[in-house]
Amino acid sequence: MIESKQIQHPQYVLIVDDQELNRDILGVILEDDYELLYAENGREALEVIREHIDDLCIVLLDLMMPVMDGFQVLEAMVADEEMRQIPVIVLTADKTAELRALKMGAADFITKPFDMHEVILARVSRIIELSEGRRLISAAEHDKLTMLYNRNFFFEYADRLYLYRPELQLDAVVMNIQQFHSVNELNGREFGDDVLRVIGNEIRAFLAETEGIACRFEADHFDIYCARQDDYAALLQRFQRKVDELSPNVDIHLRMGVKLWQEGVGPVLLFDRARTACNMVRGDYQSPLLIYNEDMRMRDLLNQRLLNDLRTAVDERQFVVYYQPKYNVQCNPPRLSSAEALIRWKHPELGMLPPGDFIPLFEGNGLISIVDSYVWAEAAAQVARWREKLGFTLPVSVNLSRADVFDQTLTGRLVKLMEDNSLRFGDIKLEVTESAYTENSRALLDVIARLREIGFEIEMDDFGSGYSSLNMLSAMPIDVLKMDMKFVRNIEHNPTDLRLVSLILDIAKYLRLHVVAEGVETEGQLALLRDAGCELVQGYYFSRPLPPEEFETLILQEIKREKETGT
Amino acid sequence: MTLQELYTLIGGDYNRAVQIMKMDRLIGRYIQKFPNSGVNEALQAAGESMDPVRLFESAHAMKGVCANMGLVKLADMVSALTEEFRAGNARRMSDEEVRAVIADVDALYRRTVEGIRQYESTL
Repeated sequence: MIESKQIQHPQYVLIVDDQELNRDILGVILEDDYELLYAENGREALEVIREHIDDLCIVLLDLMMPVMDGFQVLEAMVADEEMRQIPVIVLTADKTAELRALKMGAADFITKPFDMHEVILARVSRIIELSEGRRLISAAEHDKLTMLYNRNFFFEYADRLYLYRPELQLDAVVMNIQQFHSVNELNGREFGDDVLRVIGNEIRAFLAETEGIACRFEADHFDIYCARQDDYAALLQRFQRKVDELSPNVDIHLRMGVKLWQEGVGPVLLFDRARTACNMVRGDYQSPLLIYNEDMRMRDLLNQRLLNDLRTAVDERQFVVYYQPKYNVQCNPPRLSSAEALIRWKHPELGMLPPGDFIPLFEGNGLISIVDSYVWAEAAAQVARWREKLGFTLPVSVNLSRADVFDQTLTGRLVKLMEDNSLRFGDIKLEVTESAYTENSRALLDVIARLREIGFEIEMDDFGSGYSSLNMLSAMPIDVLKMDMKFVRNIEHNPTDLRLVSLILDIAKYLRLHVVAEGVETEGQLALLRDAGCELVQGYYFSRPLPPEEFETLILQEIKREKETGT
Repeated sequence: MTLQELYTLIGGDYNRAVQIMKMDRLIGRYIQKFPNSGVNEALQAAGESMDPVRLFESAHAMKGVCANMGLVKLADMVSALTEEFRAGNARRMSDEEVRAVIADVDALYRRTVEGIRQYESTL
């Protein structure tokens, strides 16, 4: 094993004395253990220190010297952030001078005339060791990029503040950057680091004005343990402004979660809750600040429970796949054309859980892939069963989440699923939400383009719920637009919405994209959409999502009706 | 002449010099540099001007070098001058007495240098 002593960088010692003989004598004492540098007055010493700032372990400094004396050197070193890290041992015969030098920041003194050489060596070595130790602690204590504390030291100090300064009643503030990985991906790591540095600087400026400490918890997450602020929205604005100044052309959105001080709640729990609040503002640029409250606590507990129960739910097949039909409304009467697979969770204790209760939660931490895979397998098997039983294939669309796309095995797994169920690629359609597209990851677009080349049909889900611009549509690998239900909701009463729907339909037609209108509930909405040229419609007007057996009945009814009407 | 004999001759403390400089041969090397150190010349020049700051600085420098070399007698003599002219200390000697001490230092210094030359000639 190589011991740490053996991997030390060469240790440089600067000897500053105007008398050559004194420099020589100290040199003789130290030359076997250290690399030596010499200066014969203060000015020369400062030059050598600047030149060797990274290698210098210690300065042995005579106080009485011509040109610039030792006190002036000490003064200059203390005033400089880098030089002040280098310990100084003063060489003096004078008690008063010794005390003055120690008060000015000298680490120790060597009396003149020099002591036994062993004593000098021991002093030098001890001060270097102490200073190296301090440097190591400081390096471990602080995050190099932001100069805020590291996580472990932060929580150690937060615990101490909580125990020994309870009168401060500090709040927990958690802040991070929304979609920071995209910021890094689009603008480069260096830019991302600049953003983090700017935030770190502003947090330190803030803490110079108020009681508190802060750390970079990890990546783009910052924790601030600070005295109560009158207006946390203003505090967030302050940090946001600094980030905006750095990058006027790049949209970077900060979000903040706060848990106010609460008697008996220590920093760890306080920050857990602030983090929960912060995570809950995901995606909401309009209100990027949340203060933790009791509802969130309940929601947090439920989330924890659902996260814990997920594996069991898969093993015990607690998830049930429902199907909602899509109708081609350009036929008369409208004709069942395909279906969308939608998941429900039949929780043994909490009852039937709608997807809104758990999908966003699992999307937030990547576990959504487990749920998606479950749905794909169920839907593929179901399509195969219906084909077997009814003699034709009704295509079913399933969700593909952002997390799925970054799984290297995705394409292989989907292809295998098709093969295992003897399905054609067109039998399972893949729905990707608009927001996943607008994150604009090259990797995501590449994977989806590849799936499309293989033969899968790609649908862009919730089109219009996010901020994608229409001109991006032509560049995206998609076959079908699923128009968000918010467009449809008011078309009967709001002419603008109707005009917008017509516009989207025209553009889709121009781009040769099929359009599915979601959330159609009334005869009136259906008529307007049909007249505007919309091909496919999904919504409660035709049917709510149905469990497989009921959906099968619906298919049979449709077949029967078609036979009766001869369509 | 051995180093120990030299130290006895010039009023030095050989053991003290060994304590500081580790080895006999190093003492030998540095004691030979002492005549060129310029410390006595600086003190003599300060004595002529009787400038208290220069006197303090030069006496202080000479005291340090002599003490480190184990030249205790010389160190003690200039130490009196250092204290005489240290800022904040009350003067105890007249200028004449100071000049006398400086002359004594010069005489002892010359004897010391002479001793060192003798030692060199025996090497």
